[in-house]
Amino acid sequence: MKRGIIHGLLPLLLPYCALFCTGLALTLAQSLGLFLPLGSGEAGIEHYQTLVQDQGIRQSLGLSLSVAFFSAAGSVLGGTVLALALWRMPPGLRRVGVVSKVGLILPHVAVAFLVLLLLSRTGLVSSVLFQTGIISSPEEFPNLLHTGSGLGMILAFLLKGVPFALLLIGAVLFGFDIRLIQTARMLGAGSVRTFWSVTLPRLLPAMHSAFIILFLYAFGSFDIPFVLGESHPGMLSIRVFDIFFQRDLSQRPQAMAILTLMFVFAAVFAMLYNRFAAYLDGWRRKL
Amino acid sequence: MRVIFLLSLFLALTAGCSEAPTEESVLRQDYASLEQAARGTEVRWHMWGGSAQINQWVDTYVAGEMKRLYDINVVRVPMDAPVFVNKLLTEKAANKNTGTMDLLWINGENFKNSMQAGVLFGPFTDRLPNFTAWYDPQKSAHDFGYPVNGFEAPYGRAQFVFEYDTERTPTPPATMAKFADWIRANTGRFTYPQPPDFTGSAFLRQVFYATTGGHEQYLNGFNPELYAKNAPQTFTWLNDLKPYLWQEGRTYPKDAAALDTLFARGEIDMGMSYHPAHAQMKILEKTYPDTVRTFVLAEGAIFNTHFTAIPFNAPNKAGAMVLANFLMSPEAQLSKFKPENWGDLPALEIAKLDEEKRQAFDAVDLGAATLGADALSAAAVPEIASEYLELLERDWDTIILGH
Amino acid sequence: MRHAPTIIVLALLFLLPVVVLILQAGAPGWRFPELWPELTFDGLRFLAARPGPFLTALASSLGYSLATVAVTLAMTILPAQVLAFQTFPGKNLLEGLLLLPALVPAMTFSMGLHFIFLKIGLADTTPGVILVLSMISYPYMLRALTTGYTLMGREYAVCARNLGASKRRVFLEVELPQLLPAMAAGASVVFLVAFSEYFLVFLIGGGSVASFTGYLFPLITSSNRGLGALITLIFLAVPIVLFIVLELGLYRFHRKRWMR
Repeated sequence: MKRGIIHGLLPLLLPYCALFCTGLALTLAQSLGLFLPLGSGEAGIEHYQTLVQDQGIRQSLGLSLSVAFFSAAGSVLGGTVLALALWRMPPGLRRVGVVSKVGLILPHVAVAFLVLLLLSRTGLVSSVLFQTGIISSPEEFPNLLHTGSGLGMILAFLLKGVPFALLLIGAVLFGFDIRLIQTARMLGAGSVRTFWSVTLPRLLPAMHSAFIILFLYAFGSFDIPFVLGESHPGMLSIRVFDIFFQRDLSQRPQAMAILTLMFVFAAVFAMLYNRFAAYLDGWRRKL
Repeated sequence: MRVIFLLSLFLALTAGCSEAPTEESVLRQDYASLEQAARGTEVRWHMWGGSAQINQWVDTYVAGEMKRLYDINVVRVPMDAPVFVNKLLTEKAANKNTGTMDLLWINGENFKNSMQAGVLFGPFTDRLPNFTAWYDPQKSAHDFGYPVNGFEAPYGRAQFVFEYDTERTPTPPATMAKFADWIRANTGRFTYPQPPDFTGSAFLRQVFYATTGGHEQYLNGFNPELYAKNAPQTFTWLNDLKPYLWQEGRTYPKDAAALDTLFARGEIDMGMSYHPAHAQMKILEKTYPDTVRTFVLAEGAIFNTHFTAIPFNAPNKAGAMVLANFLMSPEAQLSKFKPENWGDLPALEIAKLDEEKRQAFDAVDLGAATLGADALSAAAVPEIASEYLELLERDWDTIILGH
Repeated sequence: MRHAPTIIVLALLFLLPVVVLILQAGAPGWRFPELWPELTFDGLRFLAARPGPFLTALASSLGYSLATVAVTLAMTILPAQVLAFQTFPGKNLLEGLLLLPALVPAMTFSMGLHFIFLKIGLADTTPGVILVLSMISYPYMLRALTTGYTLMGREYAVCARNLGASKRRVFLEVELPQLLPAMAAGASVVFLVAFSEYFLVFLIGGGSVASFTGYLFPLITSSNRGLGALITLIFLAVPIVLFIVLELGLYRFHRKRWMR
């Protein structure tokens, strides 16, 4: 029995160890100064120490976390609202929801491009406002893409994230047993109470899955920050790219150190999030 | 069993006989046999891919002529210079002796870093007939003050110019001081690409020359004390102007292409380029309005030569040499000079050409937006040692951006 | 009508961008404050005159994306069965660990992997790119197949085995057809992930592996927005066409089976 299990898992475990685990191991090793391309012998955690003290890195970390949080939370909220709205529609009309697949299919660079086209100071929305007389010059259009808060990136992530959340949450919602709602209503519950106690708990697992996936994706993403990122602070992934490709090889351990820390954060976050979600649920039940 | 053993022995013995020509053998062969050996092969040329116009010229004219004249298949691979230098350094450290890049478009600090790491092949330029025929060895002996020693072949010349729209700015500023006044008077309408972008870095050097009393003092190699003494003036100038820049100088366009877009769309009023015919090219592409013109400051406009080089582990060195030679030919240089193709200034000595070819070069109309050759050469100031460049870029990061 | 707001939101978020792309593709010089640009078709003409590099990039991307689908399928089909039907100590932990490559930033392991690939000669090759793409996309295929197996249950297989069918036959004729919708779902996601990926192809492929995203990327940040918009639209069209083909294929396959 046990041999059968190992046999079955082998096609996956082999590449997993050979590619994923060794890749991670080498990243860690290089961050400690081992196995470097230039073969500098000293092993040590000095690069981590430099990192911790670097204020620029701390700011980049803060930006990556906040962009990831707001875009993931926004996507989940938006996806849930849209899913509920679509759910209330008659099945025939519900098919219009398929246009949201556009957001899923477009690659990330293209979504960043769209944000540029629409929301830059001389973009389409600005043109519309100008033509309708609301603003009289490009300067009056709000400075959405260069505020230093990563708003442009958040909007691009939203455009990709809302359809994704819609897909995940919609899958649960559209397979929902309508009788549960009917029973609650028959027992006298108002629509808000019904939603809070009957519908929402069943959507939560999908919402949490979507949140984790979208949060971690935005945290480590390269494509969108490369197009829409700003000079200062830059997203962590762009900092790594910079050090890896644009600086000399002696700085490589620093890039690897940032990557190792990012990995640890992502892994810990993924594992702890479930506990946090359970805690939130207990809090919700008390209300 | 015995047959198999004998067969493997035979294969093992003959395997050694068909290896690719070694470095020394490629350099020892005369050019004609190199051309012959390269027939029917593929040459992978790694170069900056941010200009659709240049890409098209390479993909159509260069690839077409190389196929027609030498039966060589040229494959253009878009890759920024710092990225392919990094790739070579990593490959050398990993002992990868057969790489994937044959020819590189390179200059400046990227060339210096490559030479210091020993990742380039050569010296090879003296083996190329077009180099001996049409080029002045003195003029291409140094690249940003670093000796070339035949490891890179001249490809073109460039000069730094500013771009403006005559509709919005009837008279551009004439000196760096007047430029600062203009920036203050037009708050939020000027910016420059974030160093270490090539154009942004060149702008830094222009400011460095203008605010520290000129370039002559820097021509004798790198002097750290001189830099430490003079650099603060540059950064004070830049810092003082920071609040008047686009986005109050908090953020900068990440590269020249992003700056072009801002200028083209009217979000800023000045552009800049290390390529004098760039504005004309954009006008022909219909991305810039046709009222755009270029100007230089009284303190001078930096010029440089850009080159092609061959990596140490290039799989097709012979083919790369044939391509480098072709790019230096009068025909290729003329085609490159035409603004509808690229507009890049020729690197060869026009005086060495015969009457007919000379006239062809003189007849090229670089367009209304490009400054004439006289104006450009009058303002020309040379590049200095690339150590200055790297220090300026690093200090810009810390002082201006606060990294 | 009360559904109007939803429809408007959907149209603004997803249809408007497509319209904007189409307009921009036809009008590279579209400038503030024009609402309706002057349509030239320079972008199209440029592409029609030089289709070579564009088609190579497209073909290469299609090739390695489809190969990634095949590889992930091969990697996960047996493990999915194990995860669906067996229990063993540490199963939850294992499932969590197996999902990690899709969650953690790809940069974290791919940059270390790149050096290894360099040493063993897989860097700058298409197989290297396929391997890396498989690593980040297999979790989606694994999930899809595990769900597919769970929904299918073991009864059919057990029945068929009792009737004397060989393991191979059971798989090909009983399990596979029922797994097809799950496979199609997994394949769609894996394909999309591989096809849209830029950074990993750029890192591991090193410029030697052509990619459609690599072709598109420099155009996005350049001032030639017309061409960028045009390529983006093609990028949008390719998966849609493939999905339609896939759906039609599945539909006809199922119809044939009913007819037997």
